[in-house]
Formats: sequence, structure tokens, C-alpha cells
Amino acid sequence: MGTENKGYPNFPARPAPSSSPFASAPPPGIPPQSGGPPTGSDAVGFRPFPPSASQPIRPFTPSGPPPAPTVGGMRPAQPSPFVSQIPGSRPPPPSSNSFPSTAYGPPPPPPGATPFQRFPSPPFPTTQNPPPQGPPQTLAGHFSPPMSLRPQQQPMGPPAQTMTSGLPGANTSPSPADFNMAARPGFQQSMPPVTQSYPGVGGLQPSFPGYPSKQVSQPPPMPFQGPPGPPPVSSYPPQIGGFAQRPNLAAQQNLHPSYAPPTSNVQGLVEDFNSLSLASIPGSMEPGLDHRAFPRPLDGDVEPNSFADMYPMNCHSRYLRLTTSAIPNSQSLASRWHLPLGAVVCPLAETPKGEEVPLIDFGSTGIIRCRRCRTYVNPYVTFTDSGRKWRCNICSMLNDVPGEYFSHLDANGRRMDMDQRPELTKGSVEIIAPTEYMVRPPMPPIYFFLIDVSISATKSGMLEVVAQTIKSCLDNLPGYPRTQIGFITYDSTLHFYNMKSSLSQPQMMIVTDLDDIFLPLPDDLLVNLSESRTVVEAFLDSLPMMFQDNVNVESAFGPALRAAFMVMNQLGGKLLIFQNSLPSLGAGRLKLRGDDPRVYGTDKEYALRVAEDPFYKQMAADCTKFQIGINVYAFSDKYTDIASLGTLAKYTGGQVYYYPGFQSSVHGDKLRHELARDLTRETAWEAVMRIRCGKGIRFSSYHGNFMLRSTDLIALPAVDCDKAYAMQLSLEETLLTTQTVYFQVALLYTASCGERRIRVHTSIAPVVADLGEMYRQADTGSIVSLYARLAIEKSLSAKLDDARNAIQQKIVKALKEYRNLHAVQHRLGSRLIYPETLKFLPLYGMAIIKSTPLQGGPADASLDERCAAGFTMMALPVKKLLKLLYPNLFRVDEWLLKPSADHDDLNNVLKRLPLAAESLDSRGLYIYDDGFRLVLWFGRMLSPDIAKNLLGADFAAELSRVTFQEQGNGMSKKLMSLVKKLRENDPSYHPMCFLVRQGEQPREGFLLLRNLIEDQMGGSSGYVDWILQIQRQIQQN
Amino acid sequence: MGDLLDWIISFLFLVTLLIIVIYQLTCLADLEFDRKNPFDSSARINRLILPEFGLQGLLCLYYVLTGHWFMAVFSLPHLFYNIRLYVKREHLADVTEIYNTNKWEQKKRVYKIAHIALSIFITSFWLIHSALGDI
Repeated sequence: MGTENKGYPNFPARPAPSSSPFASAPPPGIPPQSGGPPTGSDAVGFRPFPPSASQPIRPFTPSGPPPAPTVGGMRPAQPSPFVSQIPGSRPPPPSSNSFPSTAYGPPPPPPGATPFQRFPSPPFPTTQNPPPQGPPQTLAGHFSPPMSLRPQQQPMGPPAQTMTSGLPGANTSPSPADFNMAARPGFQQSMPPVTQSYPGVGGLQPSFPGYPSKQVSQPPPMPFQGPPGPPPVSSYPPQIGGFAQRPNLAAQQNLHPSYAPPTSNVQGLVEDFNSLSLASIPGSMEPGLDHRAFPRPLDGDVEPNSFADMYPMNCHSRYLRLTTSAIPNSQSLASRWHLPLGAVVCPLAETPKGEEVPLIDFGSTGIIRCRRCRTYVNPYVTFTDSGRKWRCNICSMLNDVPGEYFSHLDANGRRMDMDQRPELTKGSVEIIAPTEYMVRPPMPPIYFFLIDVSISATKSGMLEVVAQTIKSCLDNLPGYPRTQIGFITYDSTLHFYNMKSSLSQPQMMIVTDLDDIFLPLPDDLLVNLSESRTVVEAFLDSLPMMFQDNVNVESAFGPALRAAFMVMNQLGGKLLIFQNSLPSLGAGRLKLRGDDPRVYGTDKEYALRVAEDPFYKQMAADCTKFQIGINVYAFSDKYTDIASLGTLAKYTGGQVYYYPGFQSSVHGDKLRHELARDLTRETAWEAVMRIRCGKGIRFSSYHGNFMLRSTDLIALPAVDCDKAYAMQLSLEETLLTTQTVYFQVALLYTASCGERRIRVHTSIAPVVADLGEMYRQADTGSIVSLYARLAIEKSLSAKLDDARNAIQQKIVKALKEYRNLHAVQHRLGSRLIYPETLKFLPLYGMAIIKSTPLQGGPADASLDERCAAGFTMMALPVKKLLKLLYPNLFRVDEWLLKPSADHDDLNNVLKRLPLAAESLDSRGLYIYDDGFRLVLWFGRMLSPDIAKNLLGADFAAELSRVTFQEQGNGMSKKLMSLVKKLRENDPSYHPMCFLVRQGEQPREGFLLLRNLIEDQMGGSSGYVDWILQIQRQIQQN
Repeated sequence: MGDLLDWIISFLFLVTLLIIVIYQLTCLADLEFDRKNPFDSSARINRLILPEFGLQGLLCLYYVLTGHWFMAVFSLPHLFYNIRLYVKREHLADVTEIYNTNKWEQKKRVYKIAHIALSIFITSFWLIHSALGDI
């Protein structure tokens, strides 16, 4: 019962983006162009490129000053400004606004001692008044559960009742979800009538000085009372005002949340107990327990949307997800929160149609930013002084409103032009940046290709697929007509191509001196695509033929990279590297390592997973400096040292694509789709990202693929919608005096169209004094995302075992703390208890441990696979990561047999199954989908008809040799359309289809069985064991 | 007289060493407060690391050659630590991760400075002692 999700309606999954499916171009019919190659190695004649002389580009510097340490004590919250934002159209809010200050504001110590019985006194009525009609019901509905808590509290002693109305405004229902939980059966028995009025109090502030009934030593008393100045109460209104602003929400929906300002509430704890005991796995610790009752994320990622409801002006969770939407108010509280405290940011996440981020041009006004902390204007700023001034929500600084931006305020202190100003109503906006935000003219989109043409590249067909794909994407490269393009190929020598538009054929120049590279014709290596289109096409057509008979096995990767760097460092851009073998010549040559399993388990093990040669880190740093983003495509079936190559992608904000043992007949489609996506998706160039937050907290560490340019500035030479970044925050002050904190992500970038833009996402989160509330507002998705990144980082400096143990310890600590929180009031016995929000945490923790980068030992995954998966996971947005960790498994044979199911919503028909072998029925056909590959599992007893329909004549053959293609019958079409749909759900990677029949070892084990993470596999424990292990560790001491 | 010269020379060694390490520390501190970019900072630091290690090694050697066993032994841990860093190839500041390692790099240097300062103190004691003794 604890595991249901009522309170958290499913978020609609990201709709399939509109990017057109890539159609591969027909093979170029052009015969081998003899024109290109022959111009031999007369490169000597070209003027050597003076490397150092040509670096005029200054590294891009952060826009604006770094956020000055915000001054100013504790941003006295001022009631009036906030009030001013309330939309005039809606009557209720104002009244609600005013009440707090009048009723309770003044008394600096919490009016504390009012016993509950007294609630009915002013505050509550007032609180409830505002929502005129509808809301009361909703309120009542939501609030009733807490009443039930009441009784529980009484036993704890009278002091409980002292909790009061200090902050009446704090009708802070934590979230509807909480109440729902509270409302569950089992809990009701205790509910006395007491509390009609209770609700009002319900949300009250956490801040009771010593609220004795809390078991958990409450963190520093009176956090909110702390500040002198304006009575704490007064700062609630901002939220109220804030919500009220949201223009087109039905009142009911809107009002309710709006009365739930962010703070935690004392009640929280009490509710927790209840929700907790319900949410836990009852008696799960006996052997033979019912593991079917264990929580499983079969509905996919469920975001805590109570938070979104509460703050409708926050940016969407696809852009920013906090690990908990309740920020601890003190360091001591934060230290008891053993889960990570931070956020996962995906600044350019794809938006469904109709929800595009509005584009704003401030024109001559200039961008409105806080003078002191450089915060961008956002929905949470308040206007005062009849509209002449605005107060920064992050640092409380009072700024002047520029003349052109001035607007009168209406009676409620809300700007008259509010509705025309998306930056004041939307959490995500995109602002056109004026020239002050440029250190040089915005760069054009640049794609530079560095292609290995040694023997394996031609043999595997990689060269041909790449050339075709690039050619077919030429029309769709972003930024026409400014786009620039260039190529270098290499084996044991470097080949440059002059593609000047006046030529009819590209001219090839070969440089053999690898130690002292110079660029022949430096100006014509990188050309404008629209001008040189025919030359580029001619080149791509002839490329596969040119090296058809190449027997060179060497790879001068390092020198080629240097050469590409020299070509690109004028402007920056995106460098795509296609590498087929271990770099063997020149700088950056690498050794075969990692084929020695004995290294595993020793202290030197981690060294295999980091770059071997400092050359790679240095090149990566240099590339970032000059705005070059690198994507690495690796194809070899032998060891290629992805750890070293991937470093280039890691520190330049790029990606690693790894196709072990590439064969164009098998992997061709995958490469085609992924390369096409890489080339055509909207990309932000020469970007920097910074996340600002309120005073007292600070982002202290960043995790992902990027390089830091200063303590808090993330440099991203090229960034797109498939990249997410995680960060952890820490409290700088022992006690936060504000009621809320704001986060603002700003990404300054050059759009492909040549416009400099700033994408700003703003979000607000309440500050709480109660650990229980933090657990209630936790977001498993982003916690897991952060954990995965931390574990992968750890595996780069420690043994795999240590990294895995670290994750387990973290989960144990967090759950132990949670248990301690409740252990005293409740007989927990041997139950494992966890908050509703974290019910999947143990499972995902296990999934991280069993994920490719971290699993098992040397035999479980090759070093290259491990590293490639690690680099990929470091960049994945939350949803994709969760899908990779706990993939979808569903049965399709029944659906296929249903005649009329063509138009059925697939999601209804296909129910996700637990990832355990017992989910598989040998009479069925199953699809396993982790976002990177699709495995079709044919049960041994699957009806031959189905197999025949799907596979055609060779249905009885070994499936590894069967190609999966559409047969001419309805069933096959249906399945193909399903596969297509699954692929379209997430176009960022193209899952390859594998067919496997039950019992076909070792393929079955490798493709599917090993990924059924709930089962025990080799040395790792299954789900049940894992839970038992965790429970045992929690109960130790 | 020879003794005095020994002490003066080792004193100069130590002061140079101290200056180098303090300079590195300021670079790191600048980085922490966003006054410099990581590329320049790490380049500056890395340029000085080998000279620093070399100087420290020379100093040790000098102590041994001049027969100042106590000082030689006293500076051995420092030398050993430097060699260890060098062997593990962790001696250079890593520009890509410099913000994550900054704290530790600073701490390392603070300890080095403390060690060098102590050496300077002892050296100056003997310097003065031998200077006075010579009179």
C-alpha cells in the first residue's frame, strides 16, 4: 500500500520530438574520383602554419561579473512588494496576503504557545477565506488527513501544542501528495474531530523553538525567527503573490497550491510517521517474503509534481530537478540529510510542441539584471515604489527599473503589463543578448571531421556509412548559410583537403611529418558549406573509394588531433572524431593496457579508467579554451582505450559513441541515426552556464561532461538537448534565515542562427527546518542521477568495489537516518522503512551497482565498454538514465495476436514487467528496451505461427543470423511499428534490435539475462538479497 | 668559515624554495577566488614544479655532501614525497580538474611551506650560531 503513487500523477513522458527520421542517402553512384587524391605530398610548398601566432581568440569570458557575494543581511522579506504582484483579477490573494502580517507578523518570538485549541482564532479563518468557493473543498480535502495526525501527537506531550501559529501564512501543506499519503487507511483510526481548524495550522512553520515531541533533535530552534527586521511571517506572501500571478489556471487548482507556501511544518513529522509506516514494506524481512510487493518503478520516472503545482512559475522539471525540493535551513540539518543535496540541470531539454521557451528581446533597454548579484529578471522579482524599482529575489537588492521598462502597478502592486512580459510569468525564457555579451562576433556553426581511414575503417564499412550520412545531412546542418565544414583524414599520415569553392574537386594534401605539424593552406581547410557545397559533396562521394585499398594499419591520431585543433582554434566548433584503432603514432600514442585481469582488485585498477597520457587532458583543456567541442565515435572490436579518447569528449562537453566491432551491415543503421542526430539537432555554441542561488547556499561541486572555467562557470563549447549536468550544493551559513531559496540557471550561448542568447531557468524552493519534510520532497530521479555520476567519478579514482560500496553505504545511511527519525514513536520491528518519495531508491541503487560502468569484475564488461558507458551516463538526462538503469520489459505476443489492436494506445497495452527471469514466460515474446538497445526475446514455446510471421522462412534458424525485417503480414507490420515507435520515443540514441531465443547461450545471457537486474547474477545479489543486506546494515548498531 | 658558507647557501636554497611554493599557493588561491582562469594558473604552476622539485633535491644532496646529517634527514620526507608524486605522475596540476583538486593542492603546499619554514628557522639558527662562533 505504501507504494502507490496517487499523489504523483505521472508526468507525460516527453513526446517524441519532431526530428525527422533520418533517411539514409543512397550510396553515391559516383565512381572513384581520381581527381582528389593524386596531388601528392608537395605540402612542403605550403606555408607552415605558425601555431602560436594565430590565436587571437580570447577565451570566452563569462558574461558579466561573477556573482558577487551577496551582501545584505538576510534579505528582509517585505510584504508589500510581494503583495504588489498579485493579479488584480483575483480577489482572494490580497486578503490572504495581508493577514499574516497583521495577525502574526509583529511578535518576533513565535506567538508560540497558543495551544491548538486556539487555532480557530484569526489566522485560520483568514487563511481559508481567501479561496472563495472551490478552494475550500480542495483545501479541506487535503487537509483533513493531517488532522488524523493530531492524536498521534498528543501522546507526545503537551508541548506539541505549543506549535503554533507563528506563521499563519504557512499554511504550508507540504504537498498534496503528503496528505494523500496521510489519508491512507490505517491512519484514520486515530483521527479525532479536533481539527477543523487544524489544517490552518497544519502547515505551520517548522520553527518552534524546541518542539519537544520531535524525536529527532530539531535543528537549531527558531530558524525563522532568527532574523530581526521584518517578522518572518511577512515573507510568506511572496509565494502567495507569486502563485497568484499565474494567469490562466483555474482558480481551484491555483489557489490551493498558492496557499501552500514552501516551509515545512511541524506536522510534517507526525505525518511522516504515518505515511511512513504505511509506505514501508511490512514485515518484509522474513525469508520467503513476498518480493512481488517490493516497489518497482514500472510507471517509469515519476516526478514529484506537487512541487510544480505549488510553484507554477518555476521552470519545468525537464530543465531543473532538485534532489529535494525542501532546502535544509541549517548545516546541522543538511549533514543529517545523507542523500545528495543538489540539482540536475538540462538547460536545453527538448520541449513538446506548444511549450517552447519564449524568446525575449529587451532591445535598447538592455537586459534587466540585478546590479549586485547579476540575477536576471524573473517571475519572482517584485516591483515597488510604484513600479520604479524592483527587488531582486536572490539578493534583495533594490534596483532601478529602466525607463523603457517602466510600467505602472495596479492596485495590487502588480505590473499592468505583466501579461505581455513572459519573463515575469514564466520560469524559462530565452533572452537575446546584446553585444556586451560577446567577446567576438557570434561564431557560425562549424563541423569538423577527423576520420580514421586505416584498413579497419574501410573493412568494416564505417567510412562509407559516415560519408553517406554526412552527405545526407548537409541540408539539415543547423545555421545555413553560415555553416562551415572541414575534413582531415589520417592513417599513418595526415590528409588535408582543400575545398575552396572555386575548385571543382577537393584537393588532397598529405603531410607526413607527424612531429612538427603544419597546415597546408590553412584558410581553405575549413570552408563555408553553402559556397563549397559541390566540392564537399564530391569529396564525400569519393571518400570511401579513395581509401578502398588502403592497407595502412597505423593511426596517427594525436598529430591529426593537433592539426584539427590548429584549423579550428580560430573559431571553435564541433569536432567529430571517427577512430578505428588504438592511436599508434606520434603524440598521444597509447599502449595496450587493460588486457590484464590481474590489475583488477588492486590499487592500480582505477588507472585503467583514466587517460593514460597527459596529452589527452591537455588537448581537451586547450579545445575547451578555444570553444571546440569533441564527439568521439569509436568502432574497433579491439581495445581502443576509450578511457583516454573519451577524456577529450568529457572535458569539452561532448559525447562518446561506441560501436564495438562495427560492421556496417549490423551497426550501420545505428551509426546513421546517431550521427545524423548529432549533426542536425539544435546545438548551442560557445556556451557557458552558471547556476546562481540565494545567499547562504552555494553550489560546491559539478558533475558531468564539461570543464569548469571558474569556480562556478561551466564551459560548454557545444551543448545540445541530450546533455544534462549535475551539481551539489552546500550551505555556507550555519543557519539560513530566508524562507525560500531561488535557483537560476543561465546558459549564455550562440544559437546556430548567429544570435547570442541567454536561456534562463528560474526556480524556487522552500527552506525547511524539518528532516521529514526534506524526505517528503525528495526526488528519486535526480538523486539517482547524482549518485550514478558520483559512483562513476569514484570509479576513476578507486576500485570498482569501493565505488559500489560507497553507493550502498550512502543509501544505508540515508535510510538509517530516516529510521531513526521514526524509531522512537513506532515499533518498526524488522521492517525496512523509507519515505514514499524514495521507495525506488534501493532498487535504483542496485541498478547503479549493476550498470555497465560499475558492474562486476573484468569478465563482466570490457574496459572500453565500461568507460564508454561511463562517459555516456555522465551526460544523460534524468529520464533516460532511469530508463537505462531500470529498462522496460514487456510482453508483446498477446498484443500481436489481438486483431484490432492497431490503434490501441501502446502504453496501455504494453505493461512493464519486473526485470526478473520469472517475468519471462516461455510461451511469450518479450521486448527489452533500455534506450540503447532493443532485445526481442522469443520464448522456447512461443507459437511457431508468431515466429514465422515475424521472422519469415528462417524462423527456426539460430536467431543471431536472422535479420530482423518487415515481413509482408499484419503481425510483422504491427511489431515493426511498435519498434519504430519505441525508437521514436527517444531519438537521442538509436536502439539496435537484437533477436534472441530462449536457451540460446551465451547470447541470451549476454543480451538479456544479465540485464535482469532483480535476479542474482554471478557475484551480485538479487533484489531481495539486496534489500535484506541494506536492512541488515541499517539495523546494525 | 666553511660552515657559515654552508648555512648561507642552504639558507638561500630554502628561501628560493619558499618563494616558489608560496607563488604556487597564491596562484591556487587566485583561482579559488576567480581572479584567474584555470588555463593560465595551471600553466604557471606547472612551469615551476620541476624547478621546485629539482631545487629541493639539490638541497638534500647539498646537505649530504657538506655532512649536515641532521638537516639531510630532516628534509628527506619532503624529498620522498616529491619523488612519490613524480613517480605517480601526480606532480603537475591537472587543468581539467583543477577546481576539484584545488583544496588538496593548497593543503599540500601549506604543509610544504610549514616544513620549509621550519627548515629556515633551524638553518638561520645555525647560521647565526656559526656566524657568532666564528667571531
